[in-house]
Amino acid sequence: MTTPHATTMPSAATPDLRHLETRTPRGDARAVAGALESEWIKAVTVRATGTILALALLGGLAVSWSVSTFVTDRVQYVADVGFLWTGVTAMLAAIAGVLLFGSEVQHGTLASTLAARPARWIIVLAKTLVAATVGLVLGAAGLAAGFGGAVLAGLEAGDTSSVATTIGWALLYTSLSAVLGLGLSMVVRNSTAAIGGLLVWAFVVENLFRLFLADEIARFLPFVAGNHLLSDGSGFESAGALAVALTRPENALVFGGYTLVAVVLGTVLLYRRDTN
Amino acid sequence: MITVTHLTKKYGDRLAVDDLTFPVAAGRVTGFVGPNGAGKSTTMRMMVGLTRPDRGDVRYSGIRYRDLRHPARTVGAVLEARSMHPGRTARNHLRAAAALSGIPTRRVEHVLADVGLETAADKRTGTFSLGMRQRLALASALLGEPQVLLLDEPSNGLDPDGIRWLRDYLADFATRGGTVFVSSHLISELSMFAHDLVVVGGGRLLAAESVQAITGRNDIDVRVETPQPTELLEHLAAAGIAAEVRADRLILRGTTRAAVSQIAFDNRIHVLELTDVSRSLEDSLLDMTRPTAEFASA
Repeated sequence: MTTPHATTMPSAATPDLRHLETRTPRGDARAVAGALESEWIKAVTVRATGTILALALLGGLAVSWSVSTFVTDRVQYVADVGFLWTGVTAMLAAIAGVLLFGSEVQHGTLASTLAARPARWIIVLAKTLVAATVGLVLGAAGLAAGFGGAVLAGLEAGDTSSVATTIGWALLYTSLSAVLGLGLSMVVRNSTAAIGGLLVWAFVVENLFRLFLADEIARFLPFVAGNHLLSDGSGFESAGALAVALTRPENALVFGGYTLVAVVLGTVLLYRRDTN
Repeated sequence: MITVTHLTKKYGDRLAVDDLTFPVAAGRVTGFVGPNGAGKSTTMRMMVGLTRPDRGDVRYSGIRYRDLRHPARTVGAVLEARSMHPGRTARNHLRAAAALSGIPTRRVEHVLADVGLETAADKRTGTFSLGMRQRLALASALLGEPQVLLLDEPSNGLDPDGIRWLRDYLADFATRGGTVFVSSHLISELSMFAHDLVVVGGGRLLAAESVQAITGRNDIDVRVETPQPTELLEHLAAAGIAAEVRADRLILRGTTRAAVSQIAFDNRIHVLELTDVSRSLEDSLLDMTRPTAEFASA
């Protein structure tokens, strides 16, 4: 076994570091703006974000136009068809949210991000706000495409009295979805697993649960609650489901609750885990 | 001055870093050497708050890293040169880093010029060679005009020209009062510009001394060329002298030319060459770390 040698490196004779300042709560608060700018730059300077935006636009346009044109067994209106694509847009927003954190882990940039801002809540807050904004932009794009496709197909406007309100709830849904995706990727730390998990949960697991669970319980499933933000009473699967349906604010609280849990859990893990 | 005190990190049952204590002086280049698995990268990650030590801490002029108001303006760290999004351009990579640390955007152009990447600034980093990535990683570390540079294997992937440039840059940085703490497995390279060395093995501190002190206490080897190596080896072994055969010569440790000459003369062994050889820094460090190496060459 080798014996450690004495530490004989020069110390007193060499210059010290210039005066260093310690962190203050006010300084941390000021750092949020820079972190926001940084996260925004990261979000908009990769192809994935543009690709997801293009999918939200082109997919919405294509689906809305196709449904308006080829579904002829009932009378359809722009006011209804315009929201058809929002559920998918919410999933796209969730994927964009996953990538905001997951790509940092995948490409090893999380280490430099956290080294630059040891107060990790600053990073979480900035990523959350950017995710919400990205979700909002994607939601607006999806809605514009959805309404655009229906208008292009020549549908009549229909009852537009609640359209503005539903647009508000739809944008809240897509924003929260992006934040949910962010939170999930902070917990899972793997983009593929987080996106795969999201899709399987939303399109397979929840549908299975809805078959077997009582409506009183199924209404609390995350994407059941999320999708019901888009509906003011129509579109329920059964009279039983309609009878126990939550109000929109209640659905927002349920979906927001899942989002909050994901982000809080992700934040706790971000503080506790080592970063490679 | 950086002070690392009783730094300890355990992964399961394995002590990755075992009670490391050493200073890193300002105005000097300190090399951080040790074999693979010695705990160098874990130590450097603990130095910038990415890995939580089980015990001990690291302080920059008395302040823990996580308590620094402007970490990126104090410490520029390159821990992994491949850490960049392949779809983002070099300029955007640096813009994001600058914004995060509240560093003016004009610094982006400065550091791109400093590392010689101006012409590649708008190329996606996925198209970069490892050497270009190293330069970009260094540019990122330099953004905040830090007083300290922590670099983990920064010469990996650099061509000889790049290595020389890096060596000169780091030496100049230290001359201007900066603190450089650089890990490298290229000991001969480090010996050309490091002032001090921190040597670790098996997570433990083996030495923290100036390069001069380490080379100063080196033994002198004796090199012998003889047409009768087998006979000479037998007689040397009988005299308790350790020998190593390198190419067609014997390298003897812990003896003198006079003693070897006497043994050869007494046994009528013909000697063609008998020379004192100063051992290199690399030899000394390898001797120091060999007992702790997880992976050793046969």
